[in-house]
Amino acid sequence: MKKASPGFGLGLRPDHYADFLAAPQRVDWLELISENYMVPGGKPLAMLDAIRADYPVALHGVSLSIGSAEPLDRAYLAQLKQLSRRVEPLWVSDHLCWTGVAGRNSHDLLPLPYSEEALRLVVAHVKQVQDVLGERILIENVSSYLEFTDSTMSEWEFLTEVAQQADCLLLLDVNNVYVSSVNHGFDPLEYLRHLPPERIQQIHLAGHSDHGDYIVDTHDHPVCEAVWAVYREACVRFGDVAAMIERDDNIPPLADLIAELDQARAMASEVARMSRAVA
Amino acid sequence: MSASDTSALIQLQKRFQDYLLETAPGMDSQVKPGGRIPVDKRLGIYHNAYRVRLVDNLRDTFEKTWAYLGDDTFEQCARAFIEIHPPVHRSLRDYGAALPGWLERQFPRDADVAELAQMDWLLRQAFDGEDAEALPLEILAELGAEDWETIGLEFVPTLSMTPLRWNTPAIWHALDKGLPPPESQALLDQAWLLVWRRGWQPHFRSLDAVEHLALGRLVDGMRFADLCQALADAPEAAPDQAAHYLRTWMTDGLVRRLVKRAGNDGSGNPSSIQER
Repeated sequence: MKKASPGFGLGLRPDHYADFLAAPQRVDWLELISENYMVPGGKPLAMLDAIRADYPVALHGVSLSIGSAEPLDRAYLAQLKQLSRRVEPLWVSDHLCWTGVAGRNSHDLLPLPYSEEALRLVVAHVKQVQDVLGERILIENVSSYLEFTDSTMSEWEFLTEVAQQADCLLLLDVNNVYVSSVNHGFDPLEYLRHLPPERIQQIHLAGHSDHGDYIVDTHDHPVCEAVWAVYREACVRFGDVAAMIERDDNIPPLADLIAELDQARAMASEVARMSRAVA
Repeated sequence: MSASDTSALIQLQKRFQDYLLETAPGMDSQVKPGGRIPVDKRLGIYHNAYRVRLVDNLRDTFEKTWAYLGDDTFEQCARAFIEIHPPVHRSLRDYGAALPGWLERQFPRDADVAELAQMDWLLRQAFDGEDAEALPLEILAELGAEDWETIGLEFVPTLSMTPLRWNTPAIWHALDKGLPPPESQALLDQAWLLVWRRGWQPHFRSLDAVEHLALGRLVDGMRFADLCQALADAPEAAPDQAAHYLRTWMTDGLVRRLVKRAGNDGSGNPSSIQER
């Protein structure tokens, strides 16, 4: 069902355009924020075309708002399809969230109540997007800071139901699992145990900010030990899955991110070796 | 699939959004209590993140205005602006168009602030505006005498002009170099700021009243021959002023196409003479 893993990637950020154009980098594929390239022209699209010539690319959106309880934005979908045609991406992903209703946009990934009504809506919206794009999309779990009383199931149950009913794939963000597990007090490994392995197409790794009694998904630090531990478990459970690091603030030199990505490569290889030894 | 107004989900989302935008009180009763973080603190994380993200975005778009006002004043302005201008577009690229006008009302005696913000905005729009390749100056040598009778110009789509009443470009240049900006000074004569993109780089320069008028006429579809005539009749224009402008505009990379145009009394669509 899912595509073969392209290996280990990074989120492409403008700070690193020059590095990718100057020399081949030890990165198997890149993930782009779709909205940054849904622009009329100029440097972003020129960089995209130049870098796409050398690397496979995945498109990752933040504005689909698949969980808004109103019709999807057709103009946005048309733009996304146009970008997808230009890029010919590995796949297209967005988040299990909503960003606004009634003509407003918070530009934040807001949490959904995990209710039957929300499930029906998200499943219908995912199917609609897949019909427009002509392929399966990936839905990512977000970090959250509250849960609604309207929820009747856990996030992992909801996500699994979405994937199965809409026949879509999942982008598992292990940092988001960890952030939410601390904020809501659940076991991150319990979350992983309930996800359908055959639908995990991609994994996100990222850093966060610790505020003492809660943590915030800021993508401004290296991946921490606790998140590496969740990733290791994800490798055990889901095997060879495309993984990448997201960094959006305090962006270090590309070499530092590649070194961090090497940690992911090493961890995945070690788990694979152990699995073969056990088998 | 759309939800009716009676759906629990749309009601929850509207209430949550109203809480974020401060158009309605909190929604504590719909948030699960328990755990080590109180409900109001959980909601507050979203309330804060919404504003921080938009302030960051405005800082990025209005970089020179931020440097000019300083961290505290800019943040104060940005936060006040956000409260009355919640984002309505899908893309953050489109957020902040109303900030220059808002700043003009906030700082009526320091209109240079709004002018600098307008400059930031136009430069940012030019940065990822529509692509177009500019014609090289040499192409003019290929035109025959009869072409000059009917020729009109089409400009690159990132071209924009805005009124300039202050020494804002000098302030921008100082801030760009990290130097203390000069005192703001009202210009003796009304001028305009021309913004466009050349290659990947947004550019700007000042226009005097005559050049602004000349460029504006050609943007509106006037034939170059008619501009030459109009400038020849204008006492404030130098001899060969139109030819000088044309060379400057071509060298600046402002012209994307030469087109054959009907005269003032004519009609019909322009046909392209030269385009890259």
